[in-house]
Amino acid sequence: MDELLQEFISETQETLEALAGEVIAWEADPSDRDRLDAIFRFFHTVKGSCGFLNLPRFERLSHAAEDVLADIRAGERQANPATVSAVLGLMDRIGELTEAVAMGAALPNENDDYLIAALNAPAESPAGGDGHAPAVTAAPVAVARQGGVHAGPRTIRLPLSLIDQLMNGVSDMVLARNELSRKLRERSADPELDNVFERLSTCVADMRDVISKTRMQRVDRLFAAIPRMVRDLGRELGKRIDLTLEGGDVEMDREMVEMVVDPLTHIVRNSIDHGIETPERRVAAGKPEAGRLRVEARQSGNQIVIAISDDGAGIDTARLVEKAMAGGRLTPDAAARMTEQDKLDLIFQAGLSTAQQVTAVSGRGVGMDVVRANVERIGGVIALENQPGQGLSITLRVPLTLTIIPGLIVRAGGQHFAIPRAAVVEILHDNNDMLKISEVAGAKIATIRAVRHSMIDLEDVLSMDKPAQPGPRAIMVMRSATGVPFALGVAAVDNHEELVIRPASPLVMASGVYAGMTLPDNGRPMLLLDAAGLANAARLPTIVDDQAARQQEEQADAATSVEMVAALRFEEISGERRLLKLSLIERVEDIDASRFGRSGSHAFVRLDGRLVPVVNGRAEFDKDRICALRLRDDQREACYPVAAVLDIVQMPLVPDMVAMHGVLSGVSVIEGEHLEVLNPFALFAALPEERVAERQRGRCLLVDSEDGWTREILAPLLRQAGHEVMLGLPSEAAVDARDVILCSGTDAAQVAEIIGCRVVQLRASPRAAGPQDGSIYRYDQDALMAAIGGRQG
Amino acid sequence: MDNLYLFAILAGTRVAVEAGEVEAVVRLTDISPVPGMGAHVAGLSALRSRVLTIVDVAAIVHGRPLPPEQRGLAVIADISGHSYGLMLDSVSDICRVPEGELPLRGQLDPAWALYARAVVEYDGHPWLLVSLASFIEGASAAQAA
Repeated sequence: MDELLQEFISETQETLEALAGEVIAWEADPSDRDRLDAIFRFFHTVKGSCGFLNLPRFERLSHAAEDVLADIRAGERQANPATVSAVLGLMDRIGELTEAVAMGAALPNENDDYLIAALNAPAESPAGGDGHAPAVTAAPVAVARQGGVHAGPRTIRLPLSLIDQLMNGVSDMVLARNELSRKLRERSADPELDNVFERLSTCVADMRDVISKTRMQRVDRLFAAIPRMVRDLGRELGKRIDLTLEGGDVEMDREMVEMVVDPLTHIVRNSIDHGIETPERRVAAGKPEAGRLRVEARQSGNQIVIAISDDGAGIDTARLVEKAMAGGRLTPDAAARMTEQDKLDLIFQAGLSTAQQVTAVSGRGVGMDVVRANVERIGGVIALENQPGQGLSITLRVPLTLTIIPGLIVRAGGQHFAIPRAAVVEILHDNNDMLKISEVAGAKIATIRAVRHSMIDLEDVLSMDKPAQPGPRAIMVMRSATGVPFALGVAAVDNHEELVIRPASPLVMASGVYAGMTLPDNGRPMLLLDAAGLANAARLPTIVDDQAARQQEEQADAATSVEMVAALRFEEISGERRLLKLSLIERVEDIDASRFGRSGSHAFVRLDGRLVPVVNGRAEFDKDRICALRLRDDQREACYPVAAVLDIVQMPLVPDMVAMHGVLSGVSVIEGEHLEVLNPFALFAALPEERVAERQRGRCLLVDSEDGWTREILAPLLRQAGHEVMLGLPSEAAVDARDVILCSGTDAAQVAEIIGCRVVQLRASPRAAGPQDGSIYRYDQDALMAAIGGRQG
Repeated sequence: MDNLYLFAILAGTRVAVEAGEVEAVVRLTDISPVPGMGAHVAGLSALRSRVLTIVDVAAIVHGRPLPPEQRGLAVIADISGHSYGLMLDSVSDICRVPEGELPLRGQLDPAWALYARAVVEYDGHPWLLVSLASFIEGASAAQAA
């Protein structure tokens, strides 16, 4: 009802605004039939809607106006200025009432009879003088309307096709912008042109953001069908269910809503059919007679989380295992070693159901495997939380929008493909020592850290040529809908990008291996691979390889450990070539030189908002971007700037010549080259005792935040030096004792003394004002840094 | 129906297509192949920000893909919400034929039976009136088989 009312209000307000001009034009030319019709329609609509919405005052007003206008339309009377004024007066009153309804305020208490009488008055005495009275009444009303413009968000209804067209237009614009940007780069730099182009770029980007918002829809729509379904099912099965729906106002992409409807419906059905028990059994189990079913949606980062929880019987994992064994999918031996979670995951196996018998509602073979496949197809994740006898909670996490997903660009057979990032568990190169690929009768098996995976090469699945390539191939471990991860070999993983995904035509989708397509900036369409589809196309076995057996294997493997380990060959900034064990390196990254800084004797770098120590103590570079290795032991991380990363080689675990010296552990000979091997122990041991934590260093609070010098010169200097800078005194957060306050006036200094933190007072003059003056000349960088650093202790 | 037809050579045969079905005829520059598909899908091509599924009609009708050097023209059509480009051998004309479509006469090559509806007489020759959507349906059917 509220929605209808809201719609009525916004519709009425919009029409009123549009009609105001019409009425005036109609007054100027009373014979204008079209305008008269438009005004008549307005009153007619209002009358119709408010009868339904039970708004008697609206009805009475519009009815009166409609009568008069109908007479005019029928030619039974002439419109004169007085009539027009009276009609305007009525419209204004309706507007005023609408406003009041919209804001939930009490309806203005004027007498409508007067207005209605004015409408009819001219019919008896067509003298123009009478027209003044309603005009006078109308004036204050009009003012009242103007005052209420801010009431509620205003909406219009648009056909979806128009929005799609708009989206396409914006996409076109982005492509054109990209092409323009390429063209501009080819030409000589023209700062003026660049500026204009920058502005255009920002506009286009903003526009794209706004347009993508038009695709959003409230989750309410997803929920709309649930209450009815729950009621009907409950009645059919003789169960009583208390349904709670929450988070209907969360918004998600409307295509995504479509995609989630089926899995959600299925889960709710399952929950009622298998989860929630009959009232008798519930009472016997000491639960309230009515089962509780709760569906809630919330946004978490760029994901929508939909949780469906019930207080039913939960999943009987023992039965699942029994069924799986009966179906020959599981050996008793393997079952005995399975963890509870492993057992629970069996529910995602095709054709497994805990339903004792096939009911009309569920248990018809379309099971959780399909639900999972559907959720994963849209880049979502499904998780179960089972409390046997107490209930089951299923969480669906789906991306906010179907159209933009993080994806990996891979190369295979000379072509590029996209893969949803969510489907990829890990990426390895096939020369990695953790990976062993063996082949038997055409079947490839990739053993990664002693876990055996089915392996397929993308080129084989898609029947493409597999040209020989110089570098190693990339092996990706993919999560698949069948629950069994598999390894996918591709020529290379090229890039990681946010991809705008659009549906592929049914012809292409029919192949079963593609989930959609995307149009990257280069204008060459690219296909999005469907992990589950690939596994199906390759007819990979879906037999559960039990975890415990793998672990035993793993231990056995570890005993016969290999002598060689992978190492990264790199060039130090000082020019030497060295080796570092690859497993220590989290990744290699180019970092802006400006992010490096020094604090006391320790160098550090700002990464992802944290300070990370720099191992070799370098903080100044002659390049803008520095290639850096990011290292990690089990808890600390460190950064190691290098001149260049050369390649990955196999090095002996123990260097050929052991020579512990500083950060070096010895020298190894790789391909005839003597290379120093870094000692990871020494590297991490040399790190500062504590992690360089920003809060420990305290913030620099710049009191004179309005001052140009402070903003433009001091703040950047401090930021560059790695300090956290805050302009002005923090209003909400309390000043921390470790914070340092920088100011120029003595009064601020006194205030700061009272707050209890350290103060560095700056002065503009190179000379101190007197012996008592503890301030520092503002361009004396060394003294300034020492003051900040020293006082922080 | 305004009897406006596109006359073209499609899979080596003279065909007429109702102009209402045709969005545009474009020269394809770049086709990205779709591996793992039958020959009937030649690939994907971008037309501004739209992605077209390029369909090889010759492969659908005769099972013989159009040789790459002959790939060039495609007729763009929107079929059930998706944009397709159907590869043509060549385009003759777009023109109004007042007589409109005439019933089929003679023994039609079975390969064309699925796609031809009628005949349009133009320029002294009969042209087979085909529906673009039927090729897509034909391709889907072939795929399912």
